[in-house]
Amino acid sequence: MNRSNTYFATKIILLSSLFLTFNNVNAEVDEAKLNIYTVNYPIKYFAESIAGDNAKVTLPMPGDIDPAFWEPKAEDVIGLQQADMILLNGANYAKWLPKVSLPLFKLVNTSAEFRDSYISLSEAVTHNHGSGGKHSHTGTAFTTWLDFSLAEKQAKSVFKALSRKQPKLNASFVENFIPLQKALLELDTELTEIGGALNGEALLGSHPVYQYLRAKYKLNLESVHWEPEEAPTEEQWNVLTKLLEKHPAKWMLWEGVPANETVLKLEALGVKSIVFSPTSNSPETGDFMTIMHENIANLKAILEKK
Amino acid sequence: MMDSFYLAWRYIVFNRIKTITLVLCISLVSFLPFALKILLNESEHQLMSRAITTPLLVGAKGNSLDLVMNSLYFSKEKPDFISMKAIEKVMDSYLAVPIPLYTRFHAREYPIVGTTLDYFEFRKHKVAEGRSFAMLGESLIGADVAARLNLKVGGSILSSPENLFDLAGVYPLKMKVVGILQKTNSVDDKAVFVDLKTTWVIQGLGHGHQDVKKIADESDVLSRSDKLVTTSTKIKQYTEINVDNLGSFHFHGDPSIYPLTAIIAVPNDKKSATILSGRYLSEQKNQQIVRPKKVIEDLLGNIFQIKEFIDAVVLIVAIAMVLAIFLVFSLSFRLRQKEISTILHLGCSRSTVVQLIGAEILIIAVFSGMLCFSSLLVLQYFQGEIVHQLFIS
Repeated sequence: MNRSNTYFATKIILLSSLFLTFNNVNAEVDEAKLNIYTVNYPIKYFAESIAGDNAKVTLPMPGDIDPAFWEPKAEDVIGLQQADMILLNGANYAKWLPKVSLPLFKLVNTSAEFRDSYISLSEAVTHNHGSGGKHSHTGTAFTTWLDFSLAEKQAKSVFKALSRKQPKLNASFVENFIPLQKALLELDTELTEIGGALNGEALLGSHPVYQYLRAKYKLNLESVHWEPEEAPTEEQWNVLTKLLEKHPAKWMLWEGVPANETVLKLEALGVKSIVFSPTSNSPETGDFMTIMHENIANLKAILEKK
Repeated sequence: MMDSFYLAWRYIVFNRIKTITLVLCISLVSFLPFALKILLNESEHQLMSRAITTPLLVGAKGNSLDLVMNSLYFSKEKPDFISMKAIEKVMDSYLAVPIPLYTRFHAREYPIVGTTLDYFEFRKHKVAEGRSFAMLGESLIGADVAARLNLKVGGSILSSPENLFDLAGVYPLKMKVVGILQKTNSVDDKAVFVDLKTTWVIQGLGHGHQDVKKIADESDVLSRSDKLVTTSTKIKQYTEINVDNLGSFHFHGDPSIYPLTAIIAVPNDKKSATILSGRYLSEQKNQQIVRPKKVIEDLLGNIFQIKEFIDAVVLIVAIAMVLAIFLVFSLSFRLRQKEISTILHLGCSRSTVVQLIGAEILIIAVFSGMLCFSSLLVLQYFQGEIVHQLFIS
């Protein structure tokens, strides 16, 4: 082996060692990262914003379904069981939770602090059978984060859980949490002003997901049960017509962009459509803050055209 | 010398009833104190080993021994129930990690333990085959349950009705076996572990049934409106939870008042344990927090007091027995006066007579010792099971 070959081989060995060392460092960093699972996108956004690079935050369900009604398989649950922390929304959000087994000490209910403020829903379907007598399937409204003062409390709960889990990183978590807290409280202030300016203007919700938004910002909002991508049935139109008689709304808030045909038919009834997305699942573009700002801009349009 | 043993043996074989009675009496008197010691040592070991590793137990106010025995050893004595709110209280304190237990039901003779996955991490149990439970209706069984019922991963086990005459009670639940625990040499080997929520399904707080909106046979529907569907008792309820019907399972009522038998509270440190205990002393009227080690020490204290009493009784019986044996031998020698004088007339010395009697006593003593020793070996083999049945179940 001549001198240049020896030099080349030495260089390769040194570079390989350097590469391996670098990879090991990366692996150590990855191992030190908290493995966090969440049940919806807003909580994921809060966790990612606060933890930064110190955690890998996963929303385990596919992007095209409502996370509240996900139906996990045993393999999905086994994945969740391996997490360091599972951040829950609370308010009976994840309907799949009672059907799976997760370690209790890894669960963090981010809305536990305000569980007394949960909004109860009227009963849906009641039935009875056997000796158990009449059963009523009552529920709880779960889109808590649409009241941004509650969203701030949920973000604070995420921050506290992270600090308890990794006390050494507390300074970093504080640094990340403060701007998030400020942004959420600004959204709250802005919506409070809009709610006041709307001054009881009748509004419609396409889906019963706006309970906390309505309660906190004093919106005069009644909901039907429509899906943006599905054309409403004749029966659903009849329900709306009856509702409009006692609740003469001119605007309907949609979870997503509604079908054009539905929009035109609604306009014929004098109802215009705007999107106010709860962003329960990961958005295709933008993030929680950008979408909430878009939502607020859409609500402001009502004021401008009032 | 060998002649003496031969003659003694022939005498013993000839008087076999008397010999057997003597051997049994001596064996029994020797066996009793040793057996008692073995059983008490084993019970102390079994009781203390789990009590030491279980820092705190929260349960309904009442008999703390029932609470500890049921929570640690799944005994049949059940304490009063507490609600899930008790879990929230421990969680919200951030002083301890709560591990819920609900040990009300059985599958055959084996207790069904409703808990969370935290239990296995706390007890450092590992899964030998399969995996831990992940979905409602799945079970993870102890090594002895698997061996005795010949159950494998993929098999199933049925919950037993609480009362044979409870004809209107809930249906037994067929639980899928998804894993078998490694042998732990504890009561966990003889338990069927399920998620806490599965025990609530067994109780009937949760259930799955055909969609009431899609009932084809209108005779099953008593009344129907937008918000209320009233069905007859003919509606099909599922007795097994599987992938196809899991979605239909739901719970009724407020989950925060669902029952538990106890909570294992694992405190962060000694200070947290003291603060948490103090809170229960000052605030909780319906619940108690106990240190299992203290409860078991008190129990063992009582058992050892009883042992001292039994030791005294055994000593008196032993003295009486020795006197009785002495009497038997002396009466026997009196009855054998003619035989002894014949031996002397045949030219044997008195020492030969003493050797003969000594050989008889030695043979009886050896047989008694062997019987006692073998009985103790058998006892030692079954000591775990016996202690479990006598002191724990």
